[in-house]
Amino acid sequence: MGEPFDRVEVKGLVKVYGATRALVGVDARFPAGEVTVIEGHNGSGKSTLLNVLGQLVRPTRGQVLYGGLDAKAHGGVALRAQIGILAHAAMVYPDLSGRENLSLYAQLYRAPRPAALLEELCDRFEIGRWGERPARTYSRGQLQRVALARALLHAPRLLLLDEPSTGLDVRSVDRLIEAVEQERARGAIIALITHDPGLAAQIAQRTIRLARGRVVEGEPDAEARA
Amino acid sequence: MKLFLAGTLAIVKKELLIELRTKEILVTAGLFGVLVVVLTSMAFFLDDDTARKLAPGVLWIGASFAGVLAMGRSWAREREGDAIRGLLLAPIPRSAIYAGKAIGTWIFVMVIDVVLWPLVGLLFRLDLVPVLLPVGLILVLGSTGYVAMGTLFASMSVRTRARDLMLSVVLFPLASPGIVAGVVATREVLQGTPLGEVLEWIRILAAFDAVAIVCGLVLFEPLMSD
Repeated sequence: MGEPFDRVEVKGLVKVYGATRALVGVDARFPAGEVTVIEGHNGSGKSTLLNVLGQLVRPTRGQVLYGGLDAKAHGGVALRAQIGILAHAAMVYPDLSGRENLSLYAQLYRAPRPAALLEELCDRFEIGRWGERPARTYSRGQLQRVALARALLHAPRLLLLDEPSTGLDVRSVDRLIEAVEQERARGAIIALITHDPGLAAQIAQRTIRLARGRVVEGEPDAEARA
Repeated sequence: MKLFLAGTLAIVKKELLIELRTKEILVTAGLFGVLVVVLTSMAFFLDDDTARKLAPGVLWIGASFAGVLAMGRSWAREREGDAIRGLLLAPIPRSAIYAGKAIGTWIFVMVIDVVLWPLVGLLFRLDLVPVLLPVGLILVLGSTGYVAMGTLFASMSVRTRARDLMLSVVLFPLASPGIVAGVVATREVLQGTPLGEVLEWIRILAAFDAVAIVCGLVLFEPLMSD
């Protein structure tokens, strides 16, 4: 799947871990240029859904369609190249500096001009001289800036945000909102898990509510089910 | 194949850079190996003949225990900050993550072996010069299969609670064909058996390496996706 996709849909999604049914027949749609908030209590299946969308977890049953193409047949490296994820955990190596972490990911994402991209990212996310220190020494806000740069360095079509604002101060949350807005305006498909109703109200266009692995609000329309 | 090689190389470089900065694996696993060799030499050294019989076992016990520590610590780095999630999402074949981690750990284990082998020679009064190359070859082959298999099981520690306990419990029985072949081949070489007569054991080591590497490359993705 090399072509950029314009929507993501899940149909009849089931994920079972041993005796635990994390997702039970979930249908949902994530259109381009919109932020879809996934709400629900702890254990409702939100993170599992996000991990399935991010190709990090294989569903037990059901379909995940990227631009109408089934991930089972069209998944893999090319699809993952279009997905970015930002979570509470920064997914960076604490013993490397922020710049070294970004340089590693620029290599893994085969950025054509890695050095220029690195400078561009550092400018955009205000990663100054502190970016040369080991990530272990960063404040939560600095760490999240590096994580944001990592998640967006390849301009993903699908951006998955898993409680990205946890532990951030007001200024950092504003910076996060600004980045998400820029990505939305670019036409990215954005799925956000948050327990912060303020953040959800500020940036969400659509909401899906999960309870015990089922969608209880914001189910897709008939067209999406077809 | 190009993607696989580029991904593997990026991960090996990352492993070496982190180790160069922290020296954590080489110091902890290396010192542990040295401790095992020194203590066993004190406990079991009786005379030159007994020493020659005991040395292969001591060398392999030291190397195996140090290796299991190195593998556990290498994957602990991926757990920290949930860095493994970032790697799994990267657009490289997931087997490249396995290969990069295995090659990185293999380099660390070989460095430790290079310290342990002369130390065993010194403490057990072995004439190393005539057996340097054959034992070196046996150590390289033995460590390759051991690390290839260990890296696969250590990767599972990212998603389990028992972690180091599970790694030791699962790895040693499964790696026993390689370890036993390594010990016996080393013993034969130290007792003056010509290399041609040890070839059977070396073939077993090579076959074990091939099986371990293929299993690792094939099984890593399914293990990390469910």
